[in-house]
Amino acid sequence: MSALRDGIRRVNSAPGILIAVWALTVLVSLPLAAVLRGMLETSLGSSLAADTAAGGVNYEWMQQFVEQASGVGVTFRPTIIGFAAVLDNLSAFIDDTTRPVVIVGAAATYVAAWIFLAGGIIDRYARGRPTGTHGFFASCGVFFFRFLRLGLVQWLVYAFLFGSVHVWLFDRLYPQITHEVTVEWTAFLVRLTLYLVFGILVAAAALIFDYAKVRAVVEDRRSMLSAVNSALGFVQRNYAAAVGLFVANFILFAIVVGLYALVAPGAGRSGVSFWVGFAVSQLYILGRLWVKLVFWATETSLFQSRLAHAGWVSRAPVVWPDSPAAEAIIRAN
Amino acid sequence: MRAAWCVVALLIASPLAAQPGTNGAIDPPLSPRNANYTIRASLDPRTRIITGSATIVWRNITARPTSELQFHLYWNAWRDTQSTFMRELALGGASDQIDANEAGRIDLSSIKLTAPTTADLMAAQRFIAPDDGNAHDRTVLSVPLSTPIEPGGSAAIDIAWTAHVPRTIARTGAIGNFFFIAQWFPKLGVLQDEGWNCHQFHSGTEFFADYGVYDVSLTVPAGWPLGATGVERERRDNGNGTTTHRYYQDDVHDFAWTTSPDYLVRTARFEHPTLPAVEMRLLLQPEHAGQAERHFDATRTTLKYYGEWYGAYPYGHITIVDPAWQSDAGGMEYPTLFTAGTRWLAPARVTTPEGVTVHEAGHQFWYGIVGNNEFENAWMDEGFNTFSTARAMWQVYDPNYLSLRYFGGFVPWVVRDIALTREHDGDRLAGYRRDARSDAQSTASFRYFPTTGGSITYNKTALWLNTLERWLGWPTLQRVMSTYFAAWSFKHPAPDDFFRTASDVSGRDLREFFDQTYRSSNVFDYGVQDLKSGRDGDRYRTTLVVRRYGEAIFPVDVLVTFENGERVTERWDGRDRWKLFVYERPARASSAVVDPNRVLLLDVNPINNSRTLAPRGQQAARKWSATWLVWLQDCLLSWAALA
Repeated sequence: MSALRDGIRRVNSAPGILIAVWALTVLVSLPLAAVLRGMLETSLGSSLAADTAAGGVNYEWMQQFVEQASGVGVTFRPTIIGFAAVLDNLSAFIDDTTRPVVIVGAAATYVAAWIFLAGGIIDRYARGRPTGTHGFFASCGVFFFRFLRLGLVQWLVYAFLFGSVHVWLFDRLYPQITHEVTVEWTAFLVRLTLYLVFGILVAAAALIFDYAKVRAVVEDRRSMLSAVNSALGFVQRNYAAAVGLFVANFILFAIVVGLYALVAPGAGRSGVSFWVGFAVSQLYILGRLWVKLVFWATETSLFQSRLAHAGWVSRAPVVWPDSPAAEAIIRAN
Repeated sequence: MRAAWCVVALLIASPLAAQPGTNGAIDPPLSPRNANYTIRASLDPRTRIITGSATIVWRNITARPTSELQFHLYWNAWRDTQSTFMRELALGGASDQIDANEAGRIDLSSIKLTAPTTADLMAAQRFIAPDDGNAHDRTVLSVPLSTPIEPGGSAAIDIAWTAHVPRTIARTGAIGNFFFIAQWFPKLGVLQDEGWNCHQFHSGTEFFADYGVYDVSLTVPAGWPLGATGVERERRDNGNGTTTHRYYQDDVHDFAWTTSPDYLVRTARFEHPTLPAVEMRLLLQPEHAGQAERHFDATRTTLKYYGEWYGAYPYGHITIVDPAWQSDAGGMEYPTLFTAGTRWLAPARVTTPEGVTVHEAGHQFWYGIVGNNEFENAWMDEGFNTFSTARAMWQVYDPNYLSLRYFGGFVPWVVRDIALTREHDGDRLAGYRRDARSDAQSTASFRYFPTTGGSITYNKTALWLNTLERWLGWPTLQRVMSTYFAAWSFKHPAPDDFFRTASDVSGRDLREFFDQTYRSSNVFDYGVQDLKSGRDGDRYRTTLVVRRYGEAIFPVDVLVTFENGERVTERWDGRDRWKLFVYERPARASSAVVDPNRVLLLDVNPINNSRTLAPRGQQAARKWSATWLVWLQDCLLSWAALA
């Protein structure tokens, strides 16, 4: 619990990071949203259908639009409305639903951005004090290629989990188990169990990769394979604490999602009330991002506390070099 | 006065005049009763084999003699992958694989003529494929007779068979200890003046048979509740762990049954001031125990509204079957029995189970009582019933909300922002639009392209019937449909019988409408091409161009609204490709709408039906792209969990 408290404190003491990752999320999403906006505008044109679409939900138009849509347009379905959007994404994640290429492309960009930022973020949380913009991005740069290599390992593991294990669990084992099942509740229990099995596997992988990142930053590791190996060792040695912390973080995630379920705005609004709802949604996105950061911060805290090196990072803060022009001016003086 | 006489005449002619007994007997007969079956069958649930024998008494009610009998052996569609049914499944992109252990089939062990003469017909029987010549298809059996049966003459046939119950497919079969047994016995085709109408089993169409009396004794494990067409007249414990249930029903054209040890049995009653009471029996899955009343309520809705609109349900009893999960038996109609279909989680104000219950109960009227040929004109029951279902649903269950399902389809989420509408969702415009040109409705239903036939059968019919309702008015359409219902109850109507009734009763020549909706795959699409309004001296000159984008023609209204509130409605016959309207008014036009009352529900592109000079498309696009942005952000965060 102390790691959890300490981690939350570290995240809260660096609100700039939270704002920055939120801005990143908006930036990656915005171009596609702009593309969709153009498509929607073209679809509606000067039709009076726009009046009902603007003031509420014009389901008929939504259906007609999506029938003719391509690219991002095919995702413009009622699943985007309110809390349905969250369920849609969680369900797509756990059911490994195929998304359109353009969405996968955006997600890949987003993940790449997180890989870049991970070093700076964990370094900031590990040090427990401001590192400044220069220091932050310097750490991002230092660890980017290391985490890119780690990303390759992650990709292989997740590709195996989603491409093979998931297929085996849900496309082969599940139909086999439920072949003669005539009670939906029983089938749902089977599916829940398989979700649990698959979720534990994914969580275990995520846990180890998280600690691999933490160890890479705190201990300035260059070999990502050794970082993964060390992370595995750490988790084995501190099994209860690491898993307990992960579960606690997952509960935070569930709380954020649960709260949003209560207040998620529908789409039957217009004008100011719609934008208030949009702001609520952005608070939820901030909450999700906060939880993601808390995962890293608490894991960093736990790792440092177990090594009795709270706040210690082996690598000296990186000093961001001035530009050659600035250096020339300094030398001239 | 004339209307009053029509109502009296309808009541006299309607099934109300016949008295439903509590034992399945109806007197006087409602139908010709020319195909009568006395069946004895027993089910071995372990081997999933049914052993059956039947005495069929058939009367030739046509004007032509016949020197053969033709039987449907539907279950042979699933004995291998070479049947026409399985080939059509493959054509539609579905799996055509059959596990040998789960295949279905029906094998005759004997067939004998016992009257008017006696003869063993076994040796002469042969499979035929009247629809596609598929030599591998064994779903139609031809049995030559040595002596023709003359018009008015009868024949009695003793027949015995063994049937392997398939893993549930096409709403029949077994899964676990759930058995739903339909299209399961050798069944005579329909002899018409043109010859035998006995189609092969197709993946996209249903059935056709003559009316008769069914007296069926079914032996199943003791203690297993059983539901079947008709009324249980007798139950005998055989002392060997089995029970024989004897069911009986007059004036039906099929017989289906179901058994499972898991069924909960519930009963209720439908009562109405002017319609006959109906005893309802529900066979319910235990996990749906809390939904019994929803099933009864939906069935009552059907019996009430269909009864008031078209004619009374004449049988006095109805069995509702809640099929087992993943049994593929849900949503199907049989005389006096139908399968509904619900989910373990079925939120209120969502169309499950009410929608499917109203629809399948509705088939008791459109299919059960009016017995059209579902092979050739499936739209005459499915389409009429889709229209009627939507109409009944929106009398009782409005609002109904869109429900989405997540996590393997188990977890529902109700989108309260989207209330479904009768016109769009009940009549299924979106599905029709997608497949509108796939087939002309007049094509025989079994020849529709397998995956798109449903849109033409169900959706297009519902849409053109609702278009007629909006065009002619409900009182007129109700008279059309009730007159047709009364005239063709317990008979086999053809499309022209309905078209003729529609024109006669409405007093309008509707041939052109039906030429376009029924005999063509053309689509309706009217729209506003251009709207301009500018100052011209001290007045405003407004020009409006409306266009017919589709091939089909329908008269439409055009509504022009001006900024001073003035509204001008024009009538356009819709024949030319476009029409220009010009107005000189003191105020600027604000909008124009083609078909402002949405009479023409078949219009495949309602978005282009209007144009405004103060468009809000930008505002709507901004709002919806922002809503989508949140979805995308959340989506990205799901992926980032792995980063």
